[in-house]
Amino acid sequence: MKMFSQAFRPVGSNKVDPVLVALWVAFILLAIIWIMPFLFIVFTSLKSNATVMGASAFSPPTELAFGNFVAAWNRGNFSTTAFNGIVITFIKVPLGLFVSAMAAYALAKVPMRMSRALFALFVFGTMLPFQVMLAPIFRQVNAFGLINTYPGIILPYLAFGIPYQVFILYGFFSAVPKELSEAARIDGASHFTIFRRIFLPISLPVLSALLILDFVATWNEFAMALVILQDPRMWTLPLGLMNFQSQFQSDYGQLNAAIIMTVLPAAIVYLMFQRYFVSGMTSGAVKE
Amino acid sequence: MSKVRLSLRPSTQGYVLLAPALIVYLLFAVYPMIDVIRMSFSSWNGLSPQAKFVGVANYRAILTQDPVFWGALWNTLIWTTAAVIVPNLIAFGVALALNQNIPGRSSLRIIFYLPVIIASIAVATIWKWMYDPFFGLFNGLLTSWGLSGWIMDWLGDKKIALWSVFVAHLWQSVGFSMVLFLAGLQSVSTTLIEAARIDGAGRWGVFRYVTLPALVPTITVVIVLSLINSLKAFDIVYGMTGGGPAQSTQMLAMWAYTQSMQLGVFGRGAAVSVVLLLITLVVVIPYMRWMFKREDAVR
Repeated sequence: MKMFSQAFRPVGSNKVDPVLVALWVAFILLAIIWIMPFLFIVFTSLKSNATVMGASAFSPPTELAFGNFVAAWNRGNFSTTAFNGIVITFIKVPLGLFVSAMAAYALAKVPMRMSRALFALFVFGTMLPFQVMLAPIFRQVNAFGLINTYPGIILPYLAFGIPYQVFILYGFFSAVPKELSEAARIDGASHFTIFRRIFLPISLPVLSALLILDFVATWNEFAMALVILQDPRMWTLPLGLMNFQSQFQSDYGQLNAAIIMTVLPAAIVYLMFQRYFVSGMTSGAVKE
Repeated sequence: MSKVRLSLRPSTQGYVLLAPALIVYLLFAVYPMIDVIRMSFSSWNGLSPQAKFVGVANYRAILTQDPVFWGALWNTLIWTTAAVIVPNLIAFGVALALNQNIPGRSSLRIIFYLPVIIASIAVATIWKWMYDPFFGLFNGLLTSWGLSGWIMDWLGDKKIALWSVFVAHLWQSVGFSMVLFLAGLQSVSTTLIEAARIDGAGRWGVFRYVTLPALVPTITVVIVLSLINSLKAFDIVYGMTGGGPAQSTQMLAMWAYTQSMQLGVFGRGAAVSVVLLLITLVVVIPYMRWMFKREDAVR
C-alpha cells in the first residue's frame, strides 16, 4: 500500500484527486490497447498453423509450438543476417562515436576559422533525410566499388550518424569550463592529448547515451541496407525479415517467431539501458 | 620537457581532429545531395557509363506525364499533416498524464516507448499480420463482437489502405514525441506552479498560463521533428503495401526509390527526390535559423 499512499495527490495537496483517478483508469485502457500488438505477436508465434487458422485470433496458445522459432531461424537464414548485423553495428557504432567526438572537440574548443560555418553544416545534416536520396547514395557507394561490402554500408551509416552525434557532443564540450583545457595547454599538452586524456573521459556519460541510441538505430536500419546490400549473404536482420515476410507469408507461427527474433535484441538493450535512451534523445532536442 | 612534439599549430591540430568526420560526411551525405540535383537534369538508366544532360525534361515528365506523381505528392502532404497532428496530440496527453502523481508511471512509460525502438520494418510486418483479412487480429475481433459487417480488407482496399498504414505509424511514433514532451514538462519550474496555485489559479489556469507557455520551445521541436520524420516515411510503406493497391499508398520517398532503383529511370527518380528535398528545406531552414538565434540568446 505504500506505493499508493502518495498517489493521486497533486503537488502540495493531501487529498486524493478524483479527476486524477478517472484519468488514470482511461490511461490504463489506452496502455492496454498499446501493448495488444505485442501480445498478439507472442501468442501467434507459439501456435501451429492449424491453430492459427482454427481458433479465435486472441486466444492464448494451448500447446506451445516452440518449434516455430527453430524453423524460422533456419528458413530465414538468421545465422547469416544476425552475424552481418553484429559485424556492421559493432564496427560502425564505436567508430562513429569516436570520430564525432574528435570533430565536436575541435569545433568547440580549438580556435579555427570557419568553425561556426562548419558546425552549421553538421547541424544541417541532422535534418537531412537519407530516405530521400537512396539512389544517389547507391551511385556514390557504387563509384567506390563497395556495393555488397561491409565498408559500403558502414561509410554511409557513418555519414548520416555523425551530424547528430557532433551536434550533441558539441553542446556538451562547449559547456566544459575553458580553464580545464587552457591549464593543460599552458603545460604544453597538444589538443590530441587534451582530447584523449581530459575530454574523452569526462564525456563518457553522453557517449554511453549516444552509443545505446545508435546501436538500436543501426541494428534496425532498413532503407539504406536495401539499396546497398543486395546479395542475400550480406543481408542484415531487417532485410531478412522483409524477405521472410514475402516468402513465407502464410506460415503465420513462423513469421511471428521471426518478428520476435528480429526485434528482441533492440528491445532487451532498451529495457536494460532505458534511462540512457531518454537522456540521449532529449539532451539534443530539449534544453532546459 | 620536449617542446618539439608541439610541431603542429593549434588550428592545424583542430583540422586534423575534424578531418575524418568531415570527409566521410561530405563524401557520403553532402555529395549525394548535390549529385541528386545534377542527376535530376540528366537521363541515366543505371548501366551506361555516361549520363546525358536533358535540361528540365525530367521535371516536365513527372509534373505532366507521370500518372503517379501527383497522387504521391498528395498522399505525402495529407500523411504529413495527419502525422504532425494526431500522434503529437496523443503524446501530449500521455505525457501530461505521466507527469502526474499516478502509480505505475515507469511501466506505462516503457509500454508507450517500446514501439519506438522496434525496427520500422518489423512494425510493418506486425501490423500487416494484424490486418490479415482472414486470420488477423482486427477481423477476428470484429467477428467475435458480432460486427462481421465491419470486416474489411484493410490493406487491400484502396480507399482505406493509406489510413491503415497510418495507424501503424501512429502506434510507432507516439512514444518518441511523448519522451520529448515529458522532458519539457519536467523542466517546468515547480516554484512557478506553486506560486500560481497560491495566487488562486485552478488546474486549467496553471496549465494555460504556466505550463503551456513554458512548453513552447518543446512543442516547436516536436512539430519540426515529426514533420521531417513523416516526410521520409519509407520503411513502413515499403513493408506494408509497397505503395499499392493501385498506388493508393504511394508517397514521394517511395516513388523516388521505385523510379530509380526498380524502374531504372534515375533522372526521373532524382527529380522526385529534389521535389521532396525542397519541401524538407522549407521546414528545415527556418527551423535552423530559429535554433541558432535561440542559442545566441542563451549565451
